[in-house]
This record gives sequence, C-alpha cells and structure tokens, in this order.
Amino acid sequence: MAAEPLSTVTQATTASARPKRRGSRTATWFPYFLIAPAIAIILLVVLFPLIYSFYLSFTPYRLLKPETLAIRWDDVLINYRRLLEDDIFWRAFGNTIIYVAVTVNLQLVLGLFLSQLLARVTRGQSILRTLIMVPMMFAPILVGFQYGWFFNATVGIVNGGLRDLGLIQTPIKWLVDVPLGMISIMIADIWMSTPVVAIILLAGTLSLPSEPFEAAEVDGASPWQKFRFITYPMLGPFITIALTIRSLDMARAFDIAMIMTGGGPANRTELAWTYINRLALNDRNFGLGSAMSFVTVVVTLVFTLYFFRQLIKSRIVY
Amino acid sequence: MRKRLILSFALALVALLGVGLVNAQDALPNDGAMAGTDMDLTGVTIRMATIGNAPYELAYTFIPMFEEATGATVEIVFKGDGFQIDKKLTQDYATGAVDYDVAWDHTSFYSAYVPYLEPLNAYFSEEELAQFSPAIINASTIDGNLYVIPRHADISVVHYRTDLYEDPANMAAFKERFGYDLAAPTTWRELGDQATFFANPGENFWGTQWAGKEEGLSGRFYELLVANGGNLFDADLKPIFNNEVGVATAQWLHDLYQAGTLPPDMTNYLWPEVAANFCNGQMAVYTEWYGWYSYFQDPASCPNVAGKFGLVRAPVGDGGIHSGWAGAHGYSIPASSQNKQAAAQLIKFLTSEFVLTEESRQGALPVRNDVWARIQGDAESAERQLDRDRLVLAQTQLNEDFFTPPLIADWINASNIIYPAIQEILITPDIDIQARLDQAAADVEQMMTDAGYYDS
Repeated sequence: MAAEPLSTVTQATTASARPKRRGSRTATWFPYFLIAPAIAIILLVVLFPLIYSFYLSFTPYRLLKPETLAIRWDDVLINYRRLLEDDIFWRAFGNTIIYVAVTVNLQLVLGLFLSQLLARVTRGQSILRTLIMVPMMFAPILVGFQYGWFFNATVGIVNGGLRDLGLIQTPIKWLVDVPLGMISIMIADIWMSTPVVAIILLAGTLSLPSEPFEAAEVDGASPWQKFRFITYPMLGPFITIALTIRSLDMARAFDIAMIMTGGGPANRTELAWTYINRLALNDRNFGLGSAMSFVTVVVTLVFTLYFFRQLIKSRIVY
Repeated sequence: MRKRLILSFALALVALLGVGLVNAQDALPNDGAMAGTDMDLTGVTIRMATIGNAPYELAYTFIPMFEEATGATVEIVFKGDGFQIDKKLTQDYATGAVDYDVAWDHTSFYSAYVPYLEPLNAYFSEEELAQFSPAIINASTIDGNLYVIPRHADISVVHYRTDLYEDPANMAAFKERFGYDLAAPTTWRELGDQATFFANPGENFWGTQWAGKEEGLSGRFYELLVANGGNLFDADLKPIFNNEVGVATAQWLHDLYQAGTLPPDMTNYLWPEVAANFCNGQMAVYTEWYGWYSYFQDPASCPNVAGKFGLVRAPVGDGGIHSGWAGAHGYSIPASSQNKQAAAQLIKFLTSEFVLTEESRQGALPVRNDVWARIQGDAESAERQLDRDRLVLAQTQLNEDFFTPPLIADWINASNIIYPAIQEILITPDIDIQARLDQAAADVEQMMTDAGYYDS
C-alpha cells in the first residue's frame, strides 16, 4: 500500500480530532455543571459567612448595635490587639492547648489498650465492640449534664461516694478548683471519645498482615516485643488518622464544657470555644468574638497541617 | 346498623366534650375579668417565645381559653430561663430571625432590645394601663414609649427556716456564740452570722446561698452594695463599685464563701438550683423571689420546708438601706411581628385580671391594682398567717425598697464583666479584692466608653 502524503494524514487526523475535542470539552465542563449547585450552596453557607465574619473581626460590632458594623479605620486591628492584651484570652488558649494535648493523648493510650484487648478476644467480640461504642451514642450535651451531676460538689455521685467511704469530710470542689475543673471536663471527654480511637485502632489491628507476627513467633519474640516492634509501627497511619480526627473534633468539647462549667467560675475552665461564645453571644461583642474565632481557626489549621504531614510520613514508613 | 352505632357514638362524644367545655367555663378558678378575648382572630397564628420553669407555667395553661374565645392559634416556639431567652432574643433581633409575635421581657433586659421592639402605647388604652403599678409602667417606658406590659414583679424577701430558728438548742447556742438572740435577720451582718452558725458542710447543709453567676450574682452584689451605701455607677455612669464600700461588700461575700457557709459550687447555680436547695431543706436562710411561695408551701413538692419557713423584709446593709434589687417580668411585641394587634390581644389576656390573679395566688407579686385587691381578699380567709403577712410585706418592699438595675442598654454587658470578678473574689482564698474590683471597673468603663456613654 502506498504511503499517504503526510499532509493528508495530518489533515485527516485534524479533521477527525475536531469533533472529538468538542466532545471532550463538553465532557470537561459537564461534571462542573453537575456540581455547580453544590458549590453554590457551599459558597453561600460556608464561604460567605467566613468572609463576613472575617470582616466583622475588624469592626467593633456588638449585637443589637448595627451602627457599630463599620470598620474603625483609625484602629483596624483593635480586636486583635485587645485579644493579645487580654489575660483571659491567653488563659483560654493555654487551657485549650493543655486540654487537647492531654485529652487526645490519653484517648490514644486508652484506645490503643482497649483495641489490643478487643483484638485478642475470641468469644463475644461483637457484643464487646457494641458495648464499647455506647458512649459514642450519647450527645455531648448529655455527657455534659451527666458528668456535671457526677462532679456536683453537694449532690454529686463522686463526692457522695467519697463521703460514704469516709474519705472526705467536706465536699471536693470538682467544678470550681484549679485544676480539678479542667480535669473533670477532660474525664467526660475521654469517656465519650476514647471508643472512637479504640474502634479505629481495632480496625487497623485486624487488618495487619499475619506474616510479620508469624516470623516474630518463630524468632521467639515476646508479646511486648511483638507489640512494640511490629503492631505499634504498623498501626502508625491508623494512629495518625485517629489523632487527626480527634484533634479536629475537639471543638465538640464545647458542649461538654458549656454544660459542666460554662468556662467558669471566674473563667477558670475557659477554653477557646467557650470564650468565643462568651465574647460573641454573652457579651454581645461579635467583633471581638470573630477575631478570636479566626485566631482559633489559624491555630487549628496549623495543627491540621502538622498532622497531615505526620500522616504522609508514617505512610512512607509503612 | 353499624354506621348508626358509630354515628351515635360520635354524637355522644361531641355532646360529652361540649358538656366538658361548659363545665370548664363554669369552673373558672376566679371571676376576674379576662381581656384580649373581644376580637375575632380566626385563622391567625400567634407565636410566642417566653420564660419557662415552675413559677411561670401556670399562665400558659390558660391559653386554650384565649384560643377558644378568639379563634386564634397560639404556638409557644421557645421556652427557657431568663438568661437563655435573653440570648435567644439578642441573637434573633440582631440577625432578623425573629419569627414570633410575643416575646418575654424584663425590666433588666428590655433597654437593649428597644430598637427592635414595637412601642405598645397605641395598643393599650389609658384605662387599661391605669390598672398597672405606675412605678413598673415607668420602669418599662423609655422616652415616652412603653415597651413592656408587666406580668409580675420581682423583689427579694428573706426566707428563713422557722423550725431551726425556733429550736431552743439553736437559740441558746447562737446566743452563746454571737451574744444576741437568734431571730429572723434584720441586717445583712445578722444574716451572715446566722448563715455561718447554721452551715454544716459535712452534712451538706448550707447557711445561705444565691444564684452564683450571670446577673444573678452581679445583681445580688448590686443590691448589697446599695444597702451598704454604695452603688455601681455614679451620676455620669462611671463605675464606682471599686470604692471602699464595694471592697467591703465583696469582702463580706468572700468571707462567707471561704468559711464554708455557701455551697462550694454555688458559682454554677442559677435560680432553679438555689430554689431546689431550699426546697430540699439544705439551707437555713436566704433571699428569694416571692414567686416560689406556693411551691415551697406545697408539701407534695417541698416536704422538708412546707409550713416551716418564715418571710421577712430584705435586710438593711451598713448604709442603713434595705436591699431591693427588683424588676418586673412582662411581654413585648417585636417590631417585625406581622400580627401586632393579635399579639397585643394575647398580651392583654396574659396580663388580665383573671390570669394574673391565678399567677399571684401561686405566689407571684401582682403588678395590677385589681389583682392586689383580689389576693388580699383571698388572704383574709387564709388559714396561714404567713399568707396574709407576705402580702403586706411585699407591698412595703415594692413601695419603699424597689430599685432596678441601671436602665441602660449595656446593663447586661456590664453585669457580664462584674460577675466573673465577684466569682473570683468568692472562690480565691488569697485575693487582692481591691485590685480585682479595680480591674473590673476599668473593663466596665472601657466597654461603656466603646459604647459611647461618655461622648459629650
């Protein structure tokens, strides 16, 4: 067969490609068309409020005083400046960091422990798994009421028990004293959310390959050595996922803290979220509350980036 | 046959219901005049956001009568305590999310809502308003515009446990310890002594207590301050609660808490918790609103204190002034309501002689002259002396001791700065009270400066 001239081939290719390209352009735009309503809704309910509250963070806006909605150009950063000068802001921030660090790490340790126990149970595992998930079924607000009552100084079950056992004569001020107030809230959160960590790590443990364990068995490794040098490193990605989910989910602790102490007394158990609520809704100082929200968002983003970097690293190791 | 049976049954049911309604009408609890029921509101739905909890619920049980008489439907879309509903109203007014026609209000709170409220002067005649206490109507009026129709008044009265105060052993022990007779307190110092005497933390029994947060605490501090001869603000609205009277007042509260006289977690209490503690018999003496009276006297609800407590006028402080932090609950109409006339009709009904008589029989302090007359008439035939005495006492307090917090839009904002300071003073053993009050005063002044109070 004689070879066709190059130009003819090119022309033919071009001609046949044209309608195809038109088709692919349609194909390129069609998915965007389909998701446009979702994007529009997200812009409306997420982006617009975000931009608006960012604007508010530069205004002295107070609820019920619409005349304060304009930016004060002589002192644009007034809210951010006042936050940095505010002792309660720093206390709330410090409390939040301690709260997240202690709570998430204790949840990890307890969750890991529970997951390893559950992984080794041979009978009734499904019942145990269901039981361990019971705290997750409670709304945080109910957990707050429950633990608020447990730790109530005068009628609470904890002081009642200690008094009946003769261990105390006068009530312990669980929700008042430093650091008992923070510890009480942390216990409530740990009770509620440790099962989340345990379930994630149990899933990870059950998905691990058996060969490394069989090889370790042959080499005579002890149970601790198998956990320390095989299970724990291989669970790395799952641990990071659990830590990330819990850290980002920490804002749910707002409900528990609000019900148990409301950030008080005298701001002693103030967390970033309770303080935002206090500033914006109790004190009606929406400008200052918005500024604090953005500071919290920036810090949360930094945490998120850090955890995701750790996640990627642990995947490489695995 | 079967159809006829069903029809007969249905007719019998309708007849029974009809008889029931007639009987219900016949068995009205009082013959006070109803109001607001003289307009046909068929098809109109009136939505309402209001206060809940024991002393407030009775009025809402009469709403079906209003619905039946007018054809309107009333929906209560929100109920919460005073602070919860304040937050809801604040957010709803600010965001334009108000979807109700009648809103709970209070003389301590309404000043902040004024731009969002409908002036009520056009909906209530002079004749209708003449029945209400002029002092409370004045406290509900700004620049000639009436914004709140009062429902009942609030002023604190000392509640003390007569079984404890009249116990000879207690009387002797008290006299030996303090050098004077144990009797209902007439001064705050006496109340403090008695609370200290009776407190027994090991037995979960407390000398006294109050609401320990929000306006419940700052208001209590305010009335103590006034009784001691001080005040929160001067004539120019500059904070002065950090002067020596303020420090002495805060010191007195601090000492009571640190001595174990007050419950350790009082700083988490609001009104219902405090009332529950008195009802449970866990407290000797305290100041409480009148509205809980019938609840405390009911052996079914409060067997530990029913018939075992007395009431006396709020004590005087070091300034020789009786405490009298007071206010009034009431109803307002949001300016955005689409059913303002219908809302006014419902308010007329809820603040009518008929409904308020029932609320006052339960214990609330009347705001209407005709209701005062009725419950005083009731009291004449009451078996309990206290049922009669409390009314005389309440009238004395309302006439002589009544004072509201400053009627400024930022009162609650100021209160939100003051109460954490008082909490800190209460619960911190070694605290520089002067320094903490100075800081709170500076923060209040800053807030008021931002809000433009000192712009000349």
